[in-house]
Amino acid sequence: MLISDIDRKHIEGKYHGADYDPFNRFIYHGYAYDETTGLSDEEIKAGVAALAESLEGEDHAVAKSKMFEYVLENTRIDINEHDYFVGIYTWDRVLWKHTIGKWIYEAADKVADELGDRKRDDFSRAGYAWSSLDFDHNVPDWDAIASLGIVGLIERIDASYKSLCDSGNLTQKQDNYYHAMRRELCAVLSLIKRLYSYSLTKDFEKIELIRESLKCISEGAPGTTLDMLQLAYIFFMVTESTDLIQVRSLGHGLDDMLYPFYKRDIESGRFTREQIKSFIAYFFIQFHAIGNYWGQPFYLGGSTVEGDTRVNEMSYILLDVYRELEIYNPKIQIKVSPSTPRDFLDKALDMIISGRTSIVFCNDETIIKAIMNSGGTREQGVYADIKGCYEYAYRTGRSGISTNVINALKSVVLVFSNGVDPTTGLKIGIDTGDVSEMASFDEFKAAYYAQLDHLLSELQRSIGTFEKYSAEVSPAIMHSSTYSGCAEKLCDMNDGGIPSVADNWVAGFASVVDSLMAVYELVFEKQTVTLGVLGEALRNDWEGYENLRLRALGCTHKFGRGDKLADECARELHEHISDFVHAIRRERGRSIYFIHSARGYIELGRQTEATPDGRRAGEEMSKNVSPVIGMDTKGVTALIRSATSLDLSLADSGACLDCMLHPTAVQGEGGRDILFSVLDTYMKRGGASIHFNIFDADMLREAQKHPEKYEGLQVRVCGWNTLWNNMSREEQEAYIKRAEAIAQ
Amino acid sequence: MTEKKGIITDIKHFATHDGDGIRTTVFFKGCPLRCVWCHNPEGLSQRPETAFYAHKCISCGECLKEGFTTDDCLGKARVLYGREVTVDDLIPELLEDRDFYLSSGGGVTLSGGECLMQAEFCAELLKELKREGINTAIDTCGCVSWDSFEKVLPFTDTFLFDLKAVNEEVHKRCTGVSNKLIIENLRRLDGLGAIIEIRIPFVPGYNDGEIEKMAVLLSSLSSVKRVRVLPYHNLAGSKYEALGMANSLPPVLPTDKEVERAREIIREKADIECL
Repeated sequence: MLISDIDRKHIEGKYHGADYDPFNRFIYHGYAYDETTGLSDEEIKAGVAALAESLEGEDHAVAKSKMFEYVLENTRIDINEHDYFVGIYTWDRVLWKHTIGKWIYEAADKVADELGDRKRDDFSRAGYAWSSLDFDHNVPDWDAIASLGIVGLIERIDASYKSLCDSGNLTQKQDNYYHAMRRELCAVLSLIKRLYSYSLTKDFEKIELIRESLKCISEGAPGTTLDMLQLAYIFFMVTESTDLIQVRSLGHGLDDMLYPFYKRDIESGRFTREQIKSFIAYFFIQFHAIGNYWGQPFYLGGSTVEGDTRVNEMSYILLDVYRELEIYNPKIQIKVSPSTPRDFLDKALDMIISGRTSIVFCNDETIIKAIMNSGGTREQGVYADIKGCYEYAYRTGRSGISTNVINALKSVVLVFSNGVDPTTGLKIGIDTGDVSEMASFDEFKAAYYAQLDHLLSELQRSIGTFEKYSAEVSPAIMHSSTYSGCAEKLCDMNDGGIPSVADNWVAGFASVVDSLMAVYELVFEKQTVTLGVLGEALRNDWEGYENLRLRALGCTHKFGRGDKLADECARELHEHISDFVHAIRRERGRSIYFIHSARGYIELGRQTEATPDGRRAGEEMSKNVSPVIGMDTKGVTALIRSATSLDLSLADSGACLDCMLHPTAVQGEGGRDILFSVLDTYMKRGGASIHFNIFDADMLREAQKHPEKYEGLQVRVCGWNTLWNNMSREEQEAYIKRAEAIAQ
Repeated sequence: MTEKKGIITDIKHFATHDGDGIRTTVFFKGCPLRCVWCHNPEGLSQRPETAFYAHKCISCGECLKEGFTTDDCLGKARVLYGREVTVDDLIPELLEDRDFYLSSGGGVTLSGGECLMQAEFCAELLKELKREGINTAIDTCGCVSWDSFEKVLPFTDTFLFDLKAVNEEVHKRCTGVSNKLIIENLRRLDGLGAIIEIRIPFVPGYNDGEIEKMAVLLSSLSSVKRVRVLPYHNLAGSKYEALGMANSLPPVLPTDKEVERAREIIREKADIECL
């Protein structure tokens, strides 16, 4: 057994109790720690508040680092007989309201003053877009952490500091930032030393191994697999909980990162394979227990620059451990390349078919092409990190500075309302004229693109202004300390230490295609209805026009059916957005494009009025690069043909296809080969990411009725895996509707 | 290409149970058998038929209008089974999934109904598919003249051959017709070395007593590469109702144990892979 039941249960209670809300990552509380090891939550909160007050007016990086240091010095700690990994109690983002939570409003006011408007707020109110600085889509340079350790990271910035001092080129800003970085890294080192000292007071079976790992990483770079896992865990904990920048993933290849340690341990006889598997199990269970709704992804596999597979023995071990634990978080994403061994993929496919776990498959070639499309080298593409649900990013060289979630469907509504948001009355769009006078489909389409372009431009104007305050709002000190660019320049990753990316997520992609196609088919091709009457029907949310709505739903040209016209329309939309986003000139990096919206397809859908595809006001939109629910009536092959009719490498942040299959299609003899062929064909056709769901609707209905019987049921939603019981009723209904459509 | 027309009820993409790999299955209309358990009653008659699924009717009133076709039915309650197609009509759609066929060792399957009741059309279609390098399969009940088999033989890679009973009386009770021609065709096909997969619908109370005899028959054949025992299901009731046909579906479903036992008998006595 990799982990005993009692240890697993203990760790599952380490971060929070049964009342935990997986959406709210701000409240984590586990069991009580030894109160002699630090202050209580209340004391820490009071201490931070007092410190924050005394630091008012101070450089933000310096102020944040001092609060970080205070928290780490005073947090309660634990070394427990049921765990190989340490306990760091203060896990409720105590710094938030004194730093990012406060500074972001100050910056927003400055932006509004500069621009003379609050368009970002209007967009949000009208459900057109959410746009904000991004604290959640970054990945530290895990390779630097693995090779240097905290001690090495300190030495690296010391060397830069000395060099800049010697050359006389050190600025006050760099001086401040150096000390902020050093203060945080030293605070982490002190914490590790404090944990080590505390471990000396303990005596139980695991203690020797825990002590050794803490001693090693307090003195230098990690030496064994356990050292590396311990360091990764501590880095993750303090960066997320106290430095407040999400450590979005475990990198470009957890297998790649751990393999050298594993090899050394086995060759030296330090640890056995079984011991290492057990350490990994304890490591995985931490993330499972934290239970972040958005998941903690990591890549496996992929290829080298020469095209050879990067799948190694550790890749198989990680899959085996994952399968044995039957967990859904952390989340595995396998980079598939032509050189990926078939038996490795078969192992992963078997896990999917069994329905007990979840894995995303990503096309290595598409990722490389996407990274190269956005200015990277092949090597950067090969070692691309995963930085979100599906998003890829330059390895170590791209900070995610801002994210815009764009409701592309809203612009269809604006064509019918001449630029005025019907619900709020806000004039967020432009005049495109009286829709009822548009004489051709091309004219209608041109009006749509005019509305879309206007909104995209306005959005870029406001977020572009906001971005320059990013480092002021959220100095990402721990992350920056791992990037060589930031270490050399003694500069924050959001302040030019490394290039940054502004991510543009597009919600409702297929809903737009289907809406445009419905206008084409109903108004111009079949002439069933005029644009004027259609507009009236939409204004009335189809009330009194039910037959017309059914005709709209029953249109032939829908995305996801391999329909040539609809796919052509989708290509045009895709290339239009890609051209627009990639033409944006930013001071410190690029704008990238992602066909994904997290929960935006539901929440922005709620703010979107009725649309010509037959959708009622408030209903969800299509998600990711997937079709509107129930519209992929021609089966999975047509679905894949539609999705891959787009050049998905243009979506240089990512694109994921959700592919739901009925169990009968892939279970039983030959089922795995069928699933492999679906995957293989998707990859060969230039697909990006693909997420398989193998469920039937009856089972989901049953799970809805008897949640208590399905506590372990995990499903793959929009880019992350979650427990069925964690989904809202609305999400569950949408999911079941899709499963029913597949079964027909 | 000739303008010869076939009549079909449906085309199903991503068919994973109609031969090897990922396939597209074309369902032809018309069948010489009247199996009591038939789950595709829309494929029995060769004439186009309109079904009415009452529970889907939303009273949109479209069907009361002049010039109504089933395409106008907004609730999709009225469904036309049976449309005439040419080979040229079918080929583009059947080639759409070519790369899935290649990756999975799949292809196109002609099924029904009984596709060989339209053997000439099938031969033309299959010939064109072979010209495109597509793997082909025919799913047949075998109850057609040998002449029909000869027409498609040069262009068919695999025959999915249904076997319902060996005893003629049992066969008649199950299907309404004698099995003499069927067994004769099976033996002739086997003699030619065609690749054959036998498919046995397993229906308690009808042909569950025939398994041993079928195993004996199969053991005398040499070209059967695999046998599939297909457990009977009764999910086609609403189709019978929609078509206004008497529902002949047997009430008793086989248990997993019974089905597995039948498979074991085939494996043991006929020494053939049985799934």
